[in-house]
Amino acid sequence: MRRAQAAIVALTAGALALTACSSGAKQGAADDQSRKDAEKMRGQIAFADAAASKGPAAPIPGATPGGTIKVYQRDTYAHLDPAQLYVSDQGSLSTLLFRRLTAFNLDNKGKYNVVGDLATDSGQKSDGGKTWTYKLKDGVKFEDGKPITSTDLRHTFERQFADFITSGPTYVQRWLADSNSTAGYRKLLPGGPYGGKHLPKSVLDTPDDKTIVFHFKKPVGDLPYALALAGYGVVEKAKDTKEKYDKAPVASGPYKIQPGSFKNGKGITLVKNTQWDPNTDISRHQYADKFDIQFSVSYIDSTQRLMADNTDNQTAISFNNQVDAASLQRVANDPKIKARSTSGYQPYVGVMNFNMRRLKDKRIREAIAYAMPIQSVLDAYGTPGGGELAGSYISPTLTGYKNIDPYGKLKNPLGDVAKAKAILKKAGKLGMKLTYAHNTAVEPLKYSVAVADNLKKAGFDVQNKELPSDTYYDIIGKTDNQFDVYPSAWGADWPSALTVLPPVYDGRQIQDGGTNYALYNSPETNKEIDRISQETDPKKAAADWFTLGEKILKDDLPQIPTFYYKQVQLHGSKIGGAVNNNILSAIDPTKLYVKK
Amino acid sequence: MFQENSARGHFAMTSPSQTAVTKTDTPGLGPDSATSKKGKNGALAGRSPGQLMWARFKRDRTGVISAFIVLSFFALGAFAPLISKFYGKDPWTRYGQTTPGLLVNQYPAGPNGGISSDFWFGLEPGLGRDVFMQLLYGIRNTLGLAVAVTIVSVLTAIVLGVAAGYFGGRTDYFIGRLIDLLMAFPNQLFYVAFVPVVTAIFVAPEDEIPFWMRCTILILVLWFLGWMSLARLLRGQVLSLREREFIEAAKISGASPWRIIRRELVPNVMTPILVQTTYMLPNFVTSIAGLSFLGVGLVEPTPDWGRMFANAADYYHNDITYLFFPGVAMVLFIVAFNLLGDSVRDAFDPKRAR
Repeated sequence: MRRAQAAIVALTAGALALTACSSGAKQGAADDQSRKDAEKMRGQIAFADAAASKGPAAPIPGATPGGTIKVYQRDTYAHLDPAQLYVSDQGSLSTLLFRRLTAFNLDNKGKYNVVGDLATDSGQKSDGGKTWTYKLKDGVKFEDGKPITSTDLRHTFERQFADFITSGPTYVQRWLADSNSTAGYRKLLPGGPYGGKHLPKSVLDTPDDKTIVFHFKKPVGDLPYALALAGYGVVEKAKDTKEKYDKAPVASGPYKIQPGSFKNGKGITLVKNTQWDPNTDISRHQYADKFDIQFSVSYIDSTQRLMADNTDNQTAISFNNQVDAASLQRVANDPKIKARSTSGYQPYVGVMNFNMRRLKDKRIREAIAYAMPIQSVLDAYGTPGGGELAGSYISPTLTGYKNIDPYGKLKNPLGDVAKAKAILKKAGKLGMKLTYAHNTAVEPLKYSVAVADNLKKAGFDVQNKELPSDTYYDIIGKTDNQFDVYPSAWGADWPSALTVLPPVYDGRQIQDGGTNYALYNSPETNKEIDRISQETDPKKAAADWFTLGEKILKDDLPQIPTFYYKQVQLHGSKIGGAVNNNILSAIDPTKLYVKK
Repeated sequence: MFQENSARGHFAMTSPSQTAVTKTDTPGLGPDSATSKKGKNGALAGRSPGQLMWARFKRDRTGVISAFIVLSFFALGAFAPLISKFYGKDPWTRYGQTTPGLLVNQYPAGPNGGISSDFWFGLEPGLGRDVFMQLLYGIRNTLGLAVAVTIVSVLTAIVLGVAAGYFGGRTDYFIGRLIDLLMAFPNQLFYVAFVPVVTAIFVAPEDEIPFWMRCTILILVLWFLGWMSLARLLRGQVLSLREREFIEAAKISGASPWRIIRRELVPNVMTPILVQTTYMLPNFVTSIAGLSFLGVGLVEPTPDWGRMFANAADYYHNDITYLFFPGVAMVLFIVAFNLLGDSVRDAFDPKRAR
């Protein structure tokens, strides 16, 4: 469950370099690389067996150990407790610090698969997908040298039910409890394992020190994906200090936090974890000696520094800062800077929601869809590289993606106002009042000019409503909201539409603060969601999800997709191994090294 | 200015035709030709203070040029729709987005921000609107608002300032404290906080704030927190004037307070009112632009001068031209208006040293 945060663009007080005259904009080379990468990823992602999960990872050609890498980050990590990690910057950090049962592995050829991380393989399912068994590898240890056992893993999952764990993912807990709501799953183990209570053997079983068995009520197909989330990183039972663990977690990955180095708003230092054994890990490397992470560096600042590439900035990088929208043009046109950039898809798909309780006539929704200038929406996020026009609800990074365009939006991305007007006229609704709401972040403010303009020309009486950015999703998440059209974005947690369609289109999940922003409720769709959720063949499930998404778009049109988010990142000239990881939607931190 | 006057006076001394002038005792005036003129029959005729000021002002070259610039800004604003008609563009159409080839990757394809015979000041990056038209209509809206705010603020200041000075006592005390209180408000922050409250009260949640309401709120807030300094100044002036003989005479002759204020006091404080007005107006222009820069002034799609700076801050790395025209226009306008203010002051009160 992830939503795109409105990027806060700060204004730099930097020196203003005046040039006598500015040259016109140039068309950058077409950027097909990320599309190819995405195709590679969705075509081949697989659950790996024991042989493919065995360490060590293949060395990166030319990589040398040693050196310190400087990391610029916009936000302070809000949490360090593995169970509280969810958002993307924490996801990047956790790849260096915490190991899980499974992990997404990106090999040197650009292939992705799900491998066993602490476990020997990505999981053995039985009983039609209701039971999953994991065996732990030998030689896996915490940073204090203690071996990681099934007791620690049992504790890792049981503490997810404690009340203080509030910001992590909830998939595994909900599957174990067979419950759809956050309030419901906590009843399975109220307060977590701290009162001496444990999950019954019929739910989570640890027959010996090396074995963990999950028992679900309904078949679960996506467990290996879910277990690879940052939120399911292993926690050492003996060192668990509950809330305080958030400040000093015990690492199990190739790096650990230098004690006392975490300072809110300032930074954090990661040093090598000597107890980490490369022979047990297929997906991580340990080249650099140190990661010196600085917080509170805005996108504009990090972009300026990395473009300058002077002294310290040559060995600098940012895990999650992107090139700010206004600088994308420079990055694309300067071959020297472009060579030091990585780019790829983010999981987010931007959509315009139609309030299904207010816009009951499909013709009106169609008129809005045809009039929508999706190119203007995308432009506000920066071109080239800010994103790609979307024809479907499902992102190109997901397994089963097909390029569809039922409303001709890709052919006519500036909107077909004449057609919209004709449809509206036929519906007899010319001049109807339409409330278009958006938040006041920089990008929505920009594209909303074009959106309101097109809708006005199509014959609507547009009420352009600005909502505050920080509470935007709470306001549009109200089931009795008074708006007709409003943008939102949704990203998958792993490359399966299971994390997209059920949260966004299941009508039974409509509630205040819910994520079905269009308030779309179709019994037929709900039934289909239930059916595909229990499909354990990943390929068939992927195809069925996509067919369902296409059907919702064509027949019911609760939202019109606008664009797939992408990001461009920079790194210093002495940083090696910088590749984009589509799962993290950022540079892969585990492959970085300092060039000698 | 002062030196210039005396130099002229020196010259006048040598001219036999002007010798009578040196004997005049008009306060505050140098012995120059402006103080009097010959009537049709050759006799000397007196001039009103307004005529004297005008004659003095005309001789001040800086002042005249500044006045010309300021007036042309007002003219450009006032005739913006007419200019738009002749120019053939309007400030709302997204030319760059609807015509392929004008914008590449959001930025103007042509050099210098896309300046061409079609788009005199280039194109706005992103939305591709015409910068010349945006600027013209932005000036129109900003100046319109600033003039409205200035008029209501000056009227308020006259009424309250003169009343406080003339009546004194309790009236003076309450108005004085009110002024102190309002001066303590930071007006930009006040505005930022004020708009959502008004919106919540008067606008239905599914409607946008109507254009006229935004303008009214802007004028109200800037007025509410903008009249105090002039009022305080007038109070001081009136306080000293009311003890003068001509006021006492008016009182004794049975004139009503309203008549005394209207006929005796206000004409005597016209100078500070006019001078302060020429300082207030550019201040309001920058305030309105500042609010728009913060994103709380006029909103899209209404063209706005201040918002152009906010947008330019995003674009200047790649398109400095977009910052150039609104920036130069704003600097020119503010400098010209302030110089005009100085000239007006000098013309009214040449004795006052700079």
